[in-house]
Amino acid sequence: MLRANSFPARGPMKPLAIAVACVLVGWLLSAVLPSYFVFLGTTAIVAMISLLGLGIVTGSAGMMALCQLSFAAVGAWVVSWLNSVDAPGGLMVWLPLGGLAAAAAGVVVGLPALRLRGVNLAVVTLGFAAAADLTLGKIQFPGTQTGIQVARPDLFPGDRRYFLFAVIVLALCSLLVHFLQASRWGSGWKFVAFSERGTASAGTSVTVTKLTAFGASAFLAGIGGGLLSGQVGLVYPSSFTTIQSLALYVLAIVSGSYLIDMAVLGGILWVLVPELLKRFGISQDWGFVIFGALGIQSLTTGSNLGADLRAMWWRRTQGRRKSMEVTSPTAAVPTAVTKPTAARRPASSASVSGSPVSEAGALLSVRGLSVTFGHVTALSEVDLDLAEGSVTGLMGPNGAGKSTMVDALAGFLPQHQGTIQLAGQSLNGLSPMERARLGIRRTFQQDRVPPTLSVGAYVRFIARGQASDKRVEELLAFFNCPPPSTQLARVDVGTRRLIEVAANMAASPRLLLLDEPAAGLSHEEHVSFAEQLVQLPARFGTTLLLIEHDLDMVRSVCNDLVVLNFGEVIASGQRDDVLANPQVMTAYMGELEVS
Amino acid sequence: MLQGALAGLAAGGLYAVIAVCLTLMARLVRVVNFSQVAIGMFAAYLAVIFAEQHLPQWAATAAGVCVGAVVSGLIGWIIAQWLPEAGIGARSAVSVASLLLLVSLSFILFGSKPKTFKSLLPGPAFSVGNVVVTQVTVVMVALALVVAVGCHVLLTKSKIGTKLRALSERPTTAELLGVPAKGLSIAVWVGTGLISAAAVSIVAPTQTNDPISLSFIIVPASAAALLGGFRRLDLAVVGGLALGMLQGALAQFEQMSVLRYWVPFLIIVVFLLWTQRKEVWDVAR
Repeated sequence: MLRANSFPARGPMKPLAIAVACVLVGWLLSAVLPSYFVFLGTTAIVAMISLLGLGIVTGSAGMMALCQLSFAAVGAWVVSWLNSVDAPGGLMVWLPLGGLAAAAAGVVVGLPALRLRGVNLAVVTLGFAAAADLTLGKIQFPGTQTGIQVARPDLFPGDRRYFLFAVIVLALCSLLVHFLQASRWGSGWKFVAFSERGTASAGTSVTVTKLTAFGASAFLAGIGGGLLSGQVGLVYPSSFTTIQSLALYVLAIVSGSYLIDMAVLGGILWVLVPELLKRFGISQDWGFVIFGALGIQSLTTGSNLGADLRAMWWRRTQGRRKSMEVTSPTAAVPTAVTKPTAARRPASSASVSGSPVSEAGALLSVRGLSVTFGHVTALSEVDLDLAEGSVTGLMGPNGAGKSTMVDALAGFLPQHQGTIQLAGQSLNGLSPMERARLGIRRTFQQDRVPPTLSVGAYVRFIARGQASDKRVEELLAFFNCPPPSTQLARVDVGTRRLIEVAANMAASPRLLLLDEPAAGLSHEEHVSFAEQLVQLPARFGTTLLLIEHDLDMVRSVCNDLVVLNFGEVIASGQRDDVLANPQVMTAYMGELEVS
Repeated sequence: MLQGALAGLAAGGLYAVIAVCLTLMARLVRVVNFSQVAIGMFAAYLAVIFAEQHLPQWAATAAGVCVGAVVSGLIGWIIAQWLPEAGIGARSAVSVASLLLLVSLSFILFGSKPKTFKSLLPGPAFSVGNVVVTQVTVVMVALALVVAVGCHVLLTKSKIGTKLRALSERPTTAELLGVPAKGLSIAVWVGTGLISAAAVSIVAPTQTNDPISLSFIIVPASAAALLGGFRRLDLAVVGGLALGMLQGALAQFEQMSVLRYWVPFLIIVVFLLWTQRKEVWDVAR
C-alpha cells in the first residue's frame, strides 16, 4: 500500500547524494570490517542486486518469476567466458555485457508473458529454471575445468577493494532502479500489475511494459551473477540452483524488495540467517525453512517487511505531517481556481450539436455495430454519429449494452461487426493501444487507477507526454483533485474517478468515452462535476460520450442523447426530444407508469 | 527408441497422476500447487525412515502416505483460512513457499543424498518382443487412468461432486447456499496429497531420488497439466504419458541429454503461445 512513498520527490539530486553517501559508508566498511565479513558482504550485495531485479518484475509488475538466479547464471557465464577468451576491457566492461546477455534471456523468457499472466508464467519460469539448472550442471562454466580465475579489475584487487567495487555497482544499480521506477516504464509496471486493460487504454503497450520489466529484472540479475564470478573467481552451478531462485523469490516477497532499501535488507538477511545458524551450530538448511515459513506468513497476511516498517514510520510521523499540512499551501486540497460560477449549458450551435449529424462533420461515425457473446446479442446494428465538440449522453437500463459499446469503440472487442471511423479513418482492426494513440480515450466503470502510484505519476503516465507539469496541476485543480504528490492509495474511490477523467483530459484526446464517471460522488460533487464536464469541449476541444444514469446530470451536460435498450438504439437526437420519447420513458420507467 | 519410450512410461504415469492432481487443485480450489510432488517426496522419504524402524515395507509406505496427506491438508488449511478470496496467483505463491520449506526440511531430516528405496513393485510385468515392461509402469499408467476417470465420475455424478463444482465456480455463493467451503477445500488438498504421495512412493525407487530431483518432477507434471489448460483431466493424462515417453526416447541418445532437460519448458512455451495466440485481456471488463 505504501510502496510509492519510498520514491522521493522528483529531481536527481537527492538519490545521487544518497548513493554517494552509501559508497562512502561502503568504503568505510571495506576498511574496518574483518575480512570474513567483507567477503560475506560481497555475497550479500550480489543477492541485493538480484533482489532489486525481482522487485521490478514481481513487486512492481506483479508477475511470478521463479528463475532469477538462472538469469544471474547467464551473466556469470558470459563474464566467465569473456574472461576465459581474454576479451578486452576487463570486468568493468564484461559486467554490463553479462547484464545485457541476461536481459536478452529475460526478454526471451518474458515473451510467453505477453499472452500469459499470473500462474502460467510461474510455470514457464520454473520450467526455465529447472532446465537451466540441469544444463549448467552438464556444461559447467567456462574456465572452471581449466582453472582460469575471473580477473578482478586492476583498481579493485583483494577482497576489501572488491567489496568497495561491489558497493559502487550496487549504488549504480539502485540509481538505475530508482530512475526507472520513477519513469514511464516504472509507472507502466505498476499499471500493468493492476490492470492490463487500463494500461492499453492509456496508449501504452502491455507487451513492451511486460518485456521491459523482465528485461530490466534479468539485467540486474546478470550484473549480480557477473559480480559473483569476480568475487569467487571460479564459478560453479551450485550458486544458481532452482531452489535458491525460489528462496530468493520468497525473500523478495517477504522483504518487499520493490523498495530499494528493502532489497538491501533482504540481501543482508540472505547471508545473515545462514551465518547465524552456523554460529549456533544449526544446519544451514534451516535458513530456507525459515524463509519458506516467513513467505507463507507474508503471503497469507498480504504484508511485507517494507510495507510494515513504512506503516509504522508513517503512523509515528503522521501527527507531525498533519500539522505541516495545515500550514503548507501545496499540501492542502486546492480549491479550483478555474471553477465555473454557474452551470453553462453546452452551446447549441448547429455545428456542434446537430443530430443526426451529417457524416462529413462527424468526428466518430459508427455503422452497423453488432457484438455477440455466444448466443447473447449485446449490440445489434447500432449506428452512431458524434459531432466534433459535442457532449452526447449514452443512456439505457442496466444490461442495455452501454459499456459493451464503449468497449467496442475502445478496441477491446475486436470480434465486433460493423465499421467505426474516427474523423474518416477506419478503426477496425486497431488495438486499444493504437486507438488510444489516435485520440480515443476512455475511463472505466470499475476502479482502474493503480493505488501504488502517486496522483502525479498516474496523470503523467496516462497523458503520455501530452501535458506539462503546469497543465497537469491546472487540470487536477480544475476537477478539484488532490495535488500531484498525493498517494492514490490515500484517495477515496469517487475522487479516483475524477482523477481518472482529469488524467485522460491531460492526454488531450479527440474523443473521451466516460463510463459512469460520477459513480461514487456525493450530490454536491455530482453537480460541480457536471459543471466541469460542460466546459470541456469549448476549453479543450474534446468530444465527449458520457454513460450516465443520473437524469439531472444528463440534462445539464448533454446536448444529444442516444438511448440503448437490449442492444438496440431506441432513440437518438436532441436531448429534450429524446427524453420526451415514450419508448424511452417505457424503457426507463417500465410499462405501468407510462400507460 | 521404443525401449526408451516404454521405459519413460513409468515416469509418464507419474507425470499424468500429478497432472491430474494439479488440474483438480486448479479447478476446485484455485491453486497451482507447486509443492504437489514435494509433498509426495516428503512422504516417500518418511516411508524410508519408518522402514528403517523395522516396520514392514507396506506399513511404512502407508504411514508415509498418510503423513503426506496431512501435510497437504495443512497447507490447504492455511490457504483456506487466510486467503479464501484471493486470486489463483496469490494462493499458488503460498505453494511456492511451501515447496521451498518442504525441500529444505527434507534436507535436514533425511540428508541431501539419494536414499535407497525398497521397490514396492519389483520386476517386470511382461515383455513385448525384446522390450520389457515393468510392474511399476503398468501400475502407474493404470493409476493415472483410474484417478482421472474416478475424479471425472466423482465430479459429474455424485452429490459431493456438484458441491465441489459449485465451490470452484462461485465460492461465495456456494458458501451462502450452505456448502462447507473450507472443509471441502481441505478435503481436496488431503485427497490430492494422498494420491500424489502414493504415486511418488511407487515411482521413487526407479527415479533419481534426491529431494530436489523428485520435487522438480513438478515441472514436467505441470507442463502436462497445462496441455489440458488446468481444466481437462483427459488431456492432462495424455500429456503426462506422452511427455514421459518422449523424454524416455530422448534419453537413448547421449548427445541429446541437454535437449531432454528443455523438453518440458519448450512444450510449455510452444503450447501456451499457440493456445493463447489471440489477444486476451486480464479481466472480463
